[in-house]
Amino acid sequence: MSEEEFAQLGARVSVRRRPHTSWRRVLGDSFRMFSPAQQFRHPVMFCVYVLFLFLVVLTLVPSLFPDIAHSYNPGYYLAVTIILFLTVWFANLSQAIAEAQGRAQADTLREIRSGVRARQVLPDGKTAWVASDILHIGDSIEVQPGEPIPIDGDITSGAALIDESMMTGESEAVIRESGGDKTSVLGGTLVLQGTIRVRVTAVRGESFLDRLIYLVEGQGREPTPNELALGVLLYAFTITLFTVVVTFIFLANFTNIVYVSVATIVALFVCLMPTTIGALLPAIGISGINRVARANVIAKSGKAVEAAGDLDLLILDKTGTITVGNRLAVQFIPAPGVAPEKLLEAALLCSSVDETPEGKSIVRLAARRNAPTRRLELGSYKVLPFTAERRMSGILLQDGTEAYKGSMQAIEAYGAVLPPELRRAGAQAAQQGMTPLAIALNKQAVGLVILKDVVKPGIKDRIRELRTMGIRTVMCTGDNRLTAAAIAKEAGVDDFVAEAKPETKLTLIQQEKAEGRLVAMTGDGTNDAPALARADVGLSMNSGTSAAKEAGNMVDLDNDPTKLIEIVSIGKQLLITRGALTTFSITNDVAKYFAIIPALFIAVGAASLPGIAILNVMGLSNPQLAVLSALLFNAIIIPILVPLALAGVPFRPSSAIDLLRKNLVLYGFGGLVTAFVGIKLLYLLLAWLITFPFVHTLGVIVAHYLPFGGL
Amino acid sequence: MFDLRSLWDIVVLFAIALAVAPFFGDYLARVYTNRPAFGDVVLAPIERGIYRLLGTSPRKSMPAREYMVALLLVNAGVWVFMFWYFFDQSTLPLNPTGVPNMSWDLAFHSASSFVTNTDFTHFTNESQISVGAIMIAWQLALFISPATGLAVAAAMVRGFIRRDGTIGNFYVDVVRSLTRVLLPIAFVGALIMVMLGVPETFNWTVIAHPITGGTQILYLGPVASYQSISLLGTNGGGWYSANMVSPLANPSAVSNLFGIFIMLLIPISSPFAFGRMVRRKGEEWPYVGTILIILVVAIALFIFYQAATNPALANFTGLVQTNGYPVGSEVRFSLPEGSTFQVVSVYSNVGANNIMIGALSPVAQLVLLFGMFTQSTPGGEGTGFGMLLLFAVLAIFVGGLMVGRTPEYLGKKIETSQVRWAALALLSHPAAILLPFVVAVVAGQVPIDASTVGASSHNFTAVLYEFTSESANNGSALSTAVFNDQTPFFNIAGAFVMLVGRYAPIFAMLKVGEIFARQRTLPAGPGTLRTASGTFTIYLTLFLIIVTTLLFLPVIAMGPLAQIL
Repeated sequence: MSEEEFAQLGARVSVRRRPHTSWRRVLGDSFRMFSPAQQFRHPVMFCVYVLFLFLVVLTLVPSLFPDIAHSYNPGYYLAVTIILFLTVWFANLSQAIAEAQGRAQADTLREIRSGVRARQVLPDGKTAWVASDILHIGDSIEVQPGEPIPIDGDITSGAALIDESMMTGESEAVIRESGGDKTSVLGGTLVLQGTIRVRVTAVRGESFLDRLIYLVEGQGREPTPNELALGVLLYAFTITLFTVVVTFIFLANFTNIVYVSVATIVALFVCLMPTTIGALLPAIGISGINRVARANVIAKSGKAVEAAGDLDLLILDKTGTITVGNRLAVQFIPAPGVAPEKLLEAALLCSSVDETPEGKSIVRLAARRNAPTRRLELGSYKVLPFTAERRMSGILLQDGTEAYKGSMQAIEAYGAVLPPELRRAGAQAAQQGMTPLAIALNKQAVGLVILKDVVKPGIKDRIRELRTMGIRTVMCTGDNRLTAAAIAKEAGVDDFVAEAKPETKLTLIQQEKAEGRLVAMTGDGTNDAPALARADVGLSMNSGTSAAKEAGNMVDLDNDPTKLIEIVSIGKQLLITRGALTTFSITNDVAKYFAIIPALFIAVGAASLPGIAILNVMGLSNPQLAVLSALLFNAIIIPILVPLALAGVPFRPSSAIDLLRKNLVLYGFGGLVTAFVGIKLLYLLLAWLITFPFVHTLGVIVAHYLPFGGL
Repeated sequence: MFDLRSLWDIVVLFAIALAVAPFFGDYLARVYTNRPAFGDVVLAPIERGIYRLLGTSPRKSMPAREYMVALLLVNAGVWVFMFWYFFDQSTLPLNPTGVPNMSWDLAFHSASSFVTNTDFTHFTNESQISVGAIMIAWQLALFISPATGLAVAAAMVRGFIRRDGTIGNFYVDVVRSLTRVLLPIAFVGALIMVMLGVPETFNWTVIAHPITGGTQILYLGPVASYQSISLLGTNGGGWYSANMVSPLANPSAVSNLFGIFIMLLIPISSPFAFGRMVRRKGEEWPYVGTILIILVVAIALFIFYQAATNPALANFTGLVQTNGYPVGSEVRFSLPEGSTFQVVSVYSNVGANNIMIGALSPVAQLVLLFGMFTQSTPGGEGTGFGMLLLFAVLAIFVGGLMVGRTPEYLGKKIETSQVRWAALALLSHPAAILLPFVVAVVAGQVPIDASTVGASSHNFTAVLYEFTSESANNGSALSTAVFNDQTPFFNIAGAFVMLVGRYAPIFAMLKVGEIFARQRTLPAGPGTLRTASGTFTIYLTLFLIIVTTLLFLPVIAMGPLAQIL
């Protein structure tokens, strides 16, 4: 089956809108985040923040600290203060951008719903228009054709054809009706036909979109376990470096080996602190949720996204996830002595009026094999539909030609004799999990058409990718073992459960979890709800029942179960981004040491000591510029890495040890080289800048206006 | 230069140690998992008797806090006994040479030093500690402190194989460490040392008539049995003040090589014991690899910089360095033999000297300092390996994130609580070194020569070395010529540094073990980071080097680096 045919079969082309980011708001937020309460939430950046305030005081009123007065250099102190400000601001900016992206994502989805009024069903059965904001869970509303559905709910009576394209991007309208699994409707979608009564299941502020906004804006965003652990590590590292640096002041100044100014020691400390990862940590977490949202999946918690990266096992439904969902014609087998054209013509005839997907697929396959079509043009004909007694369907043409297709038994019962060759071929196909249909033309068996449950194109590759990442897949199906085994083999899943009952998934999940594995599944029916709730990642379909949507921790607006595979990648990417940037941050430090430590010795004229000269590999001869360039590098690496933090590091599924090797070279060694090169370049830039008289004058002016600039 | 053939001694020695380690590691694993082991017939009934006496049983298993309390009780008992003995040694038994009592602060420092496996001595053995104090009090600590270390490592490793949140019985672990490991091997080691010429006698002194004329008192005693457990248990104190430089303690090149062997035996076997205990193939190799890479590079650097000509000699006409032996080296041994002993001694936190560290080239001093900064390559008995495991926990945490999974090790997830304790243990080390250092500097306890830049660096290095050695529970000293460490300040500060440097990481190791022990073991999949691999070994090595460098580069720069001429 070609890609385009597949697209015709109803594959969804989801529309992904470009969300609009408000830069003005981003800028405003980045400054609002300077409030101490906001800063306090991120320990590493809070340290930088406090040091910045300390240096502001120090720069303005150096006399408060008599010890430092004799090393006071206003221009240098001011420069360090400004760079510290930039460091904090850049960190704020990265978080503000991530939040804005998430908000924009949610806004595009929410806009549709705003200002909507609802026709509430009053106790006396009459209806009245109210603002949708005042509705409560359990209230009943009525929606008539042409009206948008104001709020998420379940249909209690009636059926309707609903356009969900604005929410899901799916162009084809869907049918929703009371009873069964398709009762759920989404706020913002449009009723095309039919009047329905809907019981409200979510009030404004609690529906999934609002939850998404809560999540990205931080109110609802609890740090995930890995984030917490990393936070502890960074915090411990910061405290220790603080000890190292503070003791360094005393050791240096009291032994007279070197003399260190306060600004330099603050710069050293800020450089060594894991500010890069510390600044980007919130943005990374938010962007994980955003990336999931961009895939039209609403995550209910950040934890769920992270859990997706940890999964060991995916439970996939056969129908709809692994296979297209309908059996399709794949092969014609003519009876011995029958011309293939005759079989094709008969197949085309008996299926041309068959509206089932199976029938359509036979027509398509026959057409592709150039079946003769002249008899179809005869005009009048009579359809012989499928009935329980006949167990076959066909067509009776004006000229008396009669064509039937049905199971082999039905065709034999009808009176056509199946040659043994055909019977053998049919049995063989059945053994491979396919469905043979016999075709008879005027009571003569002309051949077989083989129907098959077709595996979605590309699914095999994705399952192989999952295996490389170390994730097992189990296919769940109600089919018999034979059919299930055949499909499982074709799709390349690791295991399958045949003849599954609704509770099978729950049992499977409980079993696997008892062995300590993390399990994910998709589902849409109410009977999936317990399993969805039990799974570590439960992806429910938006078309599913409210119970299913409540139970799962993610909702897919596109109703595409294969999304699960995409979410796994996003989860992994999230963790890798954190690890990679931590490594980058740590190896950066090495280079910063090599810039600042020699600078301390240059300041006292001890740079000629060979041991110190070894450290000064970058050849930075001006100590203050060396410190400033290291500090500046430390600040501007944050905005440079923002795109990486927001998009996640590039990730191609491969084995864990390969990933480690690759990322160590890329971010570990890369971090080392980047920092050395970056600091050297910044140093050259600063050294070039200060040769301009203008810069010098600026320095003089600044020094003049600082209250104690003359010290 | 030196005779290159003497390098072969070292290569062969390492080969033998590595050949023995897997078997000895397997034996250790049997000892600490209560599996049938060599010697059960004789020892099992004795041990049962001791357990009954202690009112405990191998079936009882403790959580971390209870284990720690038991550990502190036993250690405190030994400490009190030693303090009393040292403080009152003139009247207590076995004082043939009439040594006076120690001052309270010196006794405080000495007791803390011996109980923490440091064996840093602020006194001169021959004139300040009685034979009885050595044989009865100190030698008790020589056995109990390595037994404690081994017990801690065993308890921590049990975390990976248990699910009930307990990590074993401290009393049982200590008893088995003594009966199965330390006593028998120390006994055999002592016999071998006697064969090699180390004294083992109850004649305390002998008068010698050197060819230079006059008379000299040589101090004798049960030196071999002392020296054997001192090296085997990574303790490091010496019967003699000159320690392994003294020809009586270290009579020949063979005894020197034997010393290296027994210092390395338990530390290098610990990873193998770990591999057998967790019953996973190849998991010992990242640790063996990391230890060997760092140790071999350290020895090579040490030898290279010791063999290099001292550039300062060029300032003096007529002085040349013909044979590559700097001041302070024991010239009875070749440069590689002497250097290897020294590096292995410091890196396995024994701290016994056969070289004057204060006379080494700055890079060689830096090499020794680095070993005490990591204190895990291979580090002291048990605790060194525990430290290495903590490094690995943090490395796996960061590396595990980089492969896109919640980090796990041997099927146990690494979460906030383990990260917290591991970080605390690793980071307590710089704090324990630097904070008292600052106090010493600010309080004017460090002799400072402010006249010329860099002139203070040697004094700086000496004090840095003192506190580093104490925090790492190493025991080697740079030089007593630079500053007098036998003052109440250095006695008391040093004692606290040693106690913190010992028990803070031990508690963290027990806690990490307990947290692992509470988790169930997750099945490994292809997505799990494979730790038994070359990539992980190199990663762990680099992680260890980078973290250590980040924490200690500033002080290194002011000390040894500023001294390089």
